Amino acid sequence: MTARDSARGVDPVVILAAGVVTPIGTDLDAFWSALVEGRDGISTVERFRVDDLRVGCGGEIKRVPATEGSRRVACRASQLLLAAADDLRRRARLDAEPARLAVVVGTALGGVEELERALDKDGRPRPAGSALYDSPGRALARALGARGPLLTVSTACASGATALGVGADLLRADRADLVVAGGFDILCRFVMRGFDALRSLTRGRVRPFDRRRSGLLLGESAALVLMTREADARGPRLGRLLGHASTSDGAHIAAPHPEGRGLLTAIRGALTQADVEPADVDLVSAHGTATPLNDRIETAVLKAALGARADAIPVNSIKAGLGHTMGAAATLEAIMCLLASRDGLVPPTLGFEERDPECDLDYVPLRARAARPRVSLSTSLGFGGCNAALVLDGDGT
Amino acid sequence: MTELATRGTTLGGIGIITGWGGGVAALPADAAHAAGDRATIAIDRPALAGPRFRRATRECLLGVAAVQAMLDAAGLPRESIAGADTALVYVTAAAYAASNRAFIEAATGGSALHFPYTAPSAVPAEVAIEFGLIGGYVIFVGGGTTTLEALAHAAGLLGRGECARALVLAVETFRECEDLHARARWLLRRPLVEAAACALLTPGDYDLTLTPTGVRADLTHAARRRAGETLSCEPLIALALGLESGDDRLHLTCQWRDRPLSAEWTRGG
Repeated sequence: MTARDSARGVDPVVILAAGVVTPIGTDLDAFWSALVEGRDGISTVERFRVDDLRVGCGGEIKRVPATEGSRRVACRASQLLLAAADDLRRRARLDAEPARLAVVVGTALGGVEELERALDKDGRPRPAGSALYDSPGRALARALGARGPLLTVSTACASGATALGVGADLLRADRADLVVAGGFDILCRFVMRGFDALRSLTRGRVRPFDRRRSGLLLGESAALVLMTREADARGPRLGRLLGHASTSDGAHIAAPHPEGRGLLTAIRGALTQADVEPADVDLVSAHGTATPLNDRIETAVLKAALGARADAIPVNSIKAGLGHTMGAAATLEAIMCLLASRDGLVPPTLGFEERDPECDLDYVPLRARAARPRVSLSTSLGFGGCNAALVLDGDGT
Repeated sequence: MTELATRGTTLGGIGIITGWGGGVAALPADAAHAAGDRATIAIDRPALAGPRFRRATRECLLGVAAVQAMLDAAGLPRESIAGADTALVYVTAAAYAASNRAFIEAATGGSALHFPYTAPSAVPAEVAIEFGLIGGYVIFVGGGTTTLEALAHAAGLLGRGECARALVLAVETFRECEDLHARARWLLRRPLVEAAACALLTPGDYDLTLTPTGVRADLTHAARRRAGETLSCEPLIALALGLESGDDRLHLTCQWRDRPLSAEWTRGG
């Protein structure tokens, strides 16, 4: 028996509400409508120079909703977080003592654009404190008046899932009564140059799990959820986080383990913690980046984790319309799972048209599907061999 | 308000590397005095063998060296931590800044540095690869208070049986961004001392309690005085000093960006 086997069944935490800002909708309702309708948020990046890059498209938010707090911060990452927080606060009260309100945010890039500005030799010297990766989370905590635990998680593109897991752990340890948790990242030259240099960006359409898939496009977003313990939950809710796990591949600095070892461990760990059997899973929100390697490995891992029923479970990826929103991606995908349960609609995998023999699951192609999943599994991977899995229960209404 | 974080852990060993040398024995009595007019006390790139380390950044190698230092200090073989039953919890406030800067300042297309090494996850990734760690994995960004949270998180993983042992690793480098840090003297007190530290947590009889208060404890005061500004490494250096003292009660206090946090590690009754 491994250590994880003994960690079966922990108290679930309730997800009361969510708030988002994304390229396809700048609040939760607009985001959900756009997902279900299959709207495409990819456009030519306008906010910074891209003419020297192979690929200049992404999921750029053309107009970030102004908030009272965002007028006082220059950092775009903080502005996105504050916009998502405004959306969240319109949907739920943050009814806790400041010392019992925790904030946990995940990010792959933090405030790195502020470092670009600080190093801009043509400009006047600027302080670089806001370039620290935990600065946007601090701006969020200030705006919320939160004085409880404040944590920034950076498990690369799995950050938005790890943050929800860490937030749940804080509640279970009675470190807070309410937790605002989620993820964020912005499109900036730093990350566009990086993925461009890696040749990870497609010059065509993002096609998760499709035979012709040729890479990802990046996007920017912020997504937050409000969580509390089951015993403290009052009023409407979106659902529950039943279990989570974050693991390491221990294999390669950038590429996933060739057999998806770490991802499989994370899925099994999350299912164990949730006390959920693979047969109970109704929906999988895949990482689904549309890179040749990721989608093939992820498909194989899902088959190994879910067994004979894998073929029968809808698996979607929402990255084609949003771009890969990095630190925000996993939180957005978790929210998508809960909204699918609420409304009985599973958003489609845009761009999926031609089957790949190595990606042979049910990927919900092109159109939303009428189905009401109760238990969802959400998977995420990131640079540095980061893997995360969440098990969510959408029986929230 | 006192917040009970978790129960039942012990420190199996701590490895420390700083700009002053290896272990707490290398620390001067007074870092400020020992630094003289030097703003930063840097650590040379560790000489780790193998082609895999050719591309790795200095901070990655410091992480690997700190884990090896912990194993050496505890008298443990590498095999003792390999596998899925070891969790790795990594903390840094700023060790990614050097690689971020190098990438930003590269003249063309990021060729000067492999882009994945700009991520904070690069350091624990190299550590995980080197030591075969494939268990629980969390990366926090922040200073000393975040390391206290990381210790509590690791203790929680142990307490819930999600791992058999946990490594809490912290790495800080300053040399490449010394000019930027000089603009942030409100945040960083001199001398800035590069450091890498790793603590091994195993099930045991110490209870860890976190309290959001800021009265500086003896151990962290000593760590700051003797080591200098080491950000996320400071609590682990303080713990190493505490282990040497043999006390049954280890009290740590940190402050990072206006937020204080105290931790008390007490042998259970």
